[in-house]
Order: sequence, then C-alpha cells, then structure tokens
Amino acid sequence: MTRDARDHLRFVANEISKSFATPVLHDVDLEVSAGHLHGLVGENGAGKSTLAKIIVGLESADSGSLYLDGQPYRPTNTADSLRAGVAICAQELSLVDDLSIAENILLNTTASPLMRIRRKRADERAASLLSLVGLEHLTPRTLVGRLSLAEKQLVEIAKTLATEAKLLILDEPTSALTVPQAEVLHGILRDRVRDGITVVYISHRLGDVLNVCDRVSVLRDGEVRLTEDCVELSEGALIREMAGVDADFNAPPRPTVKSAPLHLTVAGLRTSKLPNPISFDCKRGEILGVAGLAGSGRTELLNAIFGLDKRIGGSVKIHGESGTVETRNPWQSIKNGIGLVTEDRAKDGIFRDQALAFNVTIAGLGRISDRSGRLIRRREVGAVARLSEALRVRSTGAYQKMRELSGGNQQKSMLARWLHCESQLLLLDEPTRGVDVTAKLAIHTELVRLRDSGITVIAVSSELEELQSLCDRIIVLSNRVLVAEFQRSNWSQREILEAAFSEYDREYEPPSSAVT
Amino acid sequence: MNELGSRFLRILEENLIFVSLIAIVVFFSLISESFLSLTTLSTLLNQLPALTVVAIGMTLVLISGGIDLSVGSVVALSAGVIGAGIAILGLPLPLAACLGILAGALVGFANGSLGAYLRLPIFIVTLGMLEVSRGLAYLVTDSQTVYIGAPIQSFAVPWGGSGVSASILVALTLVVVFEVMLKNTIFGRQIVAVGSNESAAEVSGIDPRRIRCTVLVLSGLLAGLGGLMNAAYLGSADPNAGIGLELSAIAAAVIGGTSLMGGRGSVVGAFVGVLIVSVLQIGLAQIGITEPTKRVITGAVIILAVIIDRWRAG
Repeated sequence: MTRDARDHLRFVANEISKSFATPVLHDVDLEVSAGHLHGLVGENGAGKSTLAKIIVGLESADSGSLYLDGQPYRPTNTADSLRAGVAICAQELSLVDDLSIAENILLNTTASPLMRIRRKRADERAASLLSLVGLEHLTPRTLVGRLSLAEKQLVEIAKTLATEAKLLILDEPTSALTVPQAEVLHGILRDRVRDGITVVYISHRLGDVLNVCDRVSVLRDGEVRLTEDCVELSEGALIREMAGVDADFNAPPRPTVKSAPLHLTVAGLRTSKLPNPISFDCKRGEILGVAGLAGSGRTELLNAIFGLDKRIGGSVKIHGESGTVETRNPWQSIKNGIGLVTEDRAKDGIFRDQALAFNVTIAGLGRISDRSGRLIRRREVGAVARLSEALRVRSTGAYQKMRELSGGNQQKSMLARWLHCESQLLLLDEPTRGVDVTAKLAIHTELVRLRDSGITVIAVSSELEELQSLCDRIIVLSNRVLVAEFQRSNWSQREILEAAFSEYDREYEPPSSAVT
Repeated sequence: MNELGSRFLRILEENLIFVSLIAIVVFFSLISESFLSLTTLSTLLNQLPALTVVAIGMTLVLISGGIDLSVGSVVALSAGVIGAGIAILGLPLPLAACLGILAGALVGFANGSLGAYLRLPIFIVTLGMLEVSRGLAYLVTDSQTVYIGAPIQSFAVPWGGSGVSASILVALTLVVVFEVMLKNTIFGRQIVAVGSNESAAEVSGIDPRRIRCTVLVLSGLLAGLGGLMNAAYLGSADPNAGIGLELSAIAAAVIGGTSLMGGRGSVVGAFVGVLIVSVLQIGLAQIGITEPTKRVITGAVIILAVIIDRWRAG
C-alpha cells in the first residue's frame, strides 16, 4: 500500500445534522482516511450511534451530505450501504436466535434472495470466520439462541467481516467481550486495515481506542470537538474533551471491611447451568467482585443466588437482625432485601415502553400503595423524584418513557428500582456495561456510598480494573468453578487472570471442589 | 392562529377515539333520519352489555401479552348452563346464574393452567377451548334453544322508560372498576409489567404465570357473566350465541388502543371501541347496507384503527 492510497479520504461527512425530539447531531464534519482505524468516542447521548446509523442508512440525516471515495453517497437502508461497500456491526445485536450461526452470517450478504443456499459452502465459510474471531469451538450449525452474549457479539462481528465491505463501522464491538477476546478482535482489525479496509471504531474503552486506532474523533453534545492522531493523545485528554471535566479513573484506596456481621451464606449452590457446587459468604457492607472470563458462570451465579434459575442443590441464606432466612425464588429474595440488576438491560431489565416511574417502582409497589393495593400517585412521584435526584437520573419527569432515556440513565434507574425497595444486598451484573465514563464514575461513587451506608454489593464485571477499583474482595470463577478468592490488600491483576484461566486447561479432569 | 390550529389538532389527536365515535354518530344522523331515535338507542343498549364485559376481559388478557379466543363459546356455555339449570333441573335463578359464571371461570382456569403453567401456546389452547366450550354448550342444551322465561329477562329489561337495565348498569360499573384496577392498583401494574417484558417482570419479583393465569380466569368469568346477560336479553339459552364474539371483543380492544403485543391498553378505551363497533353495525344496517358489505366495512375499520395507532405511537 502506497502512502498516496492511504491518504485518500474514504469517507467524509459534511455538516450532518439530525434531530429527534431534541438535536442529536449538529453540523458534524468527519473525515476518515482510507486504510485507517478511526476511533469515535464520546459520552452516551453524544451522538456516536446516531452518526453510525446515518452512515449505513438506518437513519437519515436532516441536513448535510456524505461522500464515499469522493462520490456523493446517500444510503436509505443497509442493503444500499452494503452495495456501496459499507457494513455496520451495531450495538444492538441483529442476530436471529432461531437460525444457525452459518445462516445468520449468510443473511448479511448482497446475494439475490432467490439464490439457493449452498449449505456446505456456507458452513465452511462460517467455520473459517468463527475460527478467525476465536470461536473455533462452535460449529456453524449451532443455533444462535444457544450462545452467550459474548459469543453472540463475536458472531455479529464475524457477520460484519463476512460482507467484505471496504468501510466497517463497529459500534461498541467489545462491550460484552473479555480482554483476551477483545484483543483477538483488535488483531483482526489491524490485519484488515493492513489490507486496505477502513474501520470506524466506536468504544467506551478509551485505552483500547488509543491502542488500536490511528486517529480518534471526540463527539460531545452532537459536535465533533477534536480529531487527532492517537499518538498525540492520552486517556485523560480524551475524557477532558468528552466530558469537559477532569475525571479521575481510579477510586481512592480505602480500608478493608472491619469485622462486620455476616450477611449472605451461599452453601453448595448448584443449578443446571452451574453443575459444580459453589460456596462463599459475604459480610454486611462489603463489595464483593466476581471475576472470570465471559461464559465462566458469573451471570449464572447471580441468577442462582437470586433464585431465577431452578436450584438442584445447596442453599442461599440471608442473615438479618431478625434471624436467618433461606430464599428460594425472586419473590422471596426481594422480600429479604436482595436486588438484581441484570446484564442485558433491554432483555430482562427495563420495561422500555413504560414510564420511568413504572420502571423504578415495579419491584416495590407495596411501598407506594395503601393496604388494599391501590397506588398512591403522590407517593410514586415523590419516590421517583427523590431517587432520581439522589442518583442523578436525567429525565423530563417521572412519566417520561423509559425508551427515551439514555443508556446511562436507564442503568441508574435500575439501581433506583432496588434502592426504592431498600434492598440490602445488590447483585449487579456488569453494572456499567455500555454506559459512558461520566455515568460510570457516578455509578461507582454511588456504590461506594451505598457500601458505606451498610449495603452489601456483589458485582460482576469483565473489566478487571473496575473490580479492582471498586471491590473489597474478589472471587474468581473459571469454567463454572469457583477457583480463588483475593483480598483488596493482596491481589494482583496477573494472579486474578491466572485464576480465571486455570480451569480451562483441565477439561478432562473431574470438576474440582470449590475454593472458599 | 397557526399555534392555535396545531393545539386544536393535538387535542383532537389525543382524544381521537372519542372524536371518531362522535364523527360516526354525526355521520349516520346526517344520512339517516331515523338514526337519532329511541329505537336505535334501545337496540344499542340491548347489544352492549355482553360485548362490553367480554371486551373488558379480552383487554386484560391482551395487555398481559396473551389472547383468549374461547370467550364467544364461553358465553354460549354459560347461557346453556343457566338455561338447563333453570328449565331442566328447576334450580333457582341466582344459583343457576352462579353456576353459569362458574363454568366460564373454569374454562378460564383451564386456559390459564395449560397456557401459563404448562407453557403451551395460548393462541392454540384457547382455540381448542373455543371448540370444547361450544361442544359443551350444545351438550348441556341438547343442541336446542332452551326457553327460560320472564324472571331472567328482568335483568335486561330497562327500568320504566329510562332505557337503562340492570345489565347495562353492571357492565358500566365493571368498566369503571376494571379501569381503576388496571391503572391504579398493584395488580394492574403487574399485568402491564408481564405484557411489557416478561423476563424483567420476573426479575422484579412478579410471577408471570400467576398473572397470566389470573387474567385468563377473569376473562372466562366475565365471559360467563356475558352468557348471563345474553340469556337475560333473549329470555332463553341459545347454544349458537356468541359466535364470532371473540373477534368483536378483540376489535373493540384494538380500536380502543390496546396493543396485541401486550403492555398497553385501557378498559375505557375498549368500551369506546365497543360503542364504535356497535354504532357502526346499527348505523350501517339502518342505511340499508347489506350484511356482507357491513362485514367488509367493519373489517376495514379495525385495520384502519391499527394503522392510526401505529402512526401515533411513531
């Protein structure tokens, strides 16, 4: 590849504006050079995803123009943009659960719909794409519905790569991935760029963006605030541009939990998805982190504690002032002060078509009603206003529809749901997944504040740094086995990672017993 | 002026369903001189109660994300049980009425057990129960219309010249009761939650199976009451009563803004939907539209309602 070819502009956006209820993009100019990995960062609501959707025709701009290789380009749907050589891997997965991996990958080709599907060739092609993204252990005939979120995201990426487009838009492609999986993806992207493909890479993981991309643009409030070569930039500089404030990434050190009373005992817990008995306990006012690779059973552990999955063995006991209670199902869990914020907000967290107030109060309706079960509006509005204020949930009011709120505000309202119930033990599955840096810091601050007020938190996160800055103690799952436990005073990232990988190398040995 | 105009349009849009009802009434009174008359009103008031109570149940089921196709047959089954109870077994009216309503609730319980707890597709389960209930209605009445007589008719006969009967009063009361229940009680919220996002409801401590089952029992119970109203209106139990009533009830609910996908709807809306469907039927008949054409027009109105609803939802 010559220098000249690299320097020509593959994609140009010129004064793009777009409004929904409020302006989202305002005269956005973006130039992406051919053969570049171009990062796009910004807070939630800054307009990144909207811009990405405009580029592939999923949304249309109100004004402004797009150019592809110097030619005017105005896609009205993704079929248009695919023909022009532009493909997107969107933040919301577009896979069909009831089709196989191979069929899903085929869906995204420009071939005629009447063309006969050559199953064998499709399978071969899917297999090679799967091994490319590090999923060689899956067969192309596997139904997508059976995959974990991380695996689905990798299949989505494989589907995008299969299009052989010359411009790839990746919107938060690593949000569900573990660090090694993300690194595999980054390797692939660098290879593609070396072959002359251009990539627009949208991510909240600023370290990744700086490591992987050639250039980066920062969006803030619908405007491009900065476009620079990554070598000139630091994370701090990006955050300053995104938020307009100097945000501190690392939480300050803090003393470990003193001899607090026991809050939770998990003894020999087993479900069909967690065949190895798991035992551990948790003190009142402790933040316990659960580390492990994607698919290591972290989500399943939280679901088992909460009672969502049917137990086949073991018990979960809550120790309170009035004695010890065993909880078996979500209803009993909530009654005894447990709250669960799930990993996939859209799937089993929010009620997107209902109001903010509905979402916040749904698990604790008894608190806003009289004894006969009638709701008292005044109490509902009061509760939502108080919690919104405390958690800084931005909305136009208690009755704004949930779907109109940004991802970060939706996530904070999930926390508000359990604070409304005055839950004492919060199970948080990826509490900051897909939220921007500012919202993330706000959630961290809030969690530490809750801990200091005596609330216990068990948090799952794929970001080790997040767990390290947040937790008092970390337990590590590996291949659905609880393998290790680390105290805040004596952990290292290397040791935690080693533990997380440990059970995958001994697949043929009988499952070892849990370490506590 | 422009601002005033757009505000007027917004008010029109927010109350579109009431505006449509008024527009339909105005339309028929303009082209048919006999439309605005006591005869029309009494025809309307006679037809209203059964469809109204069935539509209430249907609305709740639809909001919970389900559907109940069995209600039309349940109306006939309930009427049959009442008729047979009085005319053949010689039971007192109150007891027979309770048995009829109980029969409806039992069908609802069967729907709920099979659909919610055994997780069979509710569309198919209630389609099956549509046949089962209709068959049972024929069995209890020996496939004949059973004459019941005067006592039961007092339920449907208007008091004095008011045009208002006990049936109508009960139906209107239930509209208000269930609207309040849906919008202002814990149970109502839980129905909406299950229809809006079942998994999220479960994480919020709601048992979706219990809610789904309960609304199906309520729907059966209300259809049973519809059977009583039907028998009271006719003075007899007709095993062919309520054929296609489930479709009218779904149409009324949808016209009233209830989503077939669950999570959204209103009982008062469904009642206005019932009024629209009924007024349309009576008005079209009065201006001499034949039955086949009437069905074409009614069908088109239902589709139009969904189009408008989709457009408003954005």
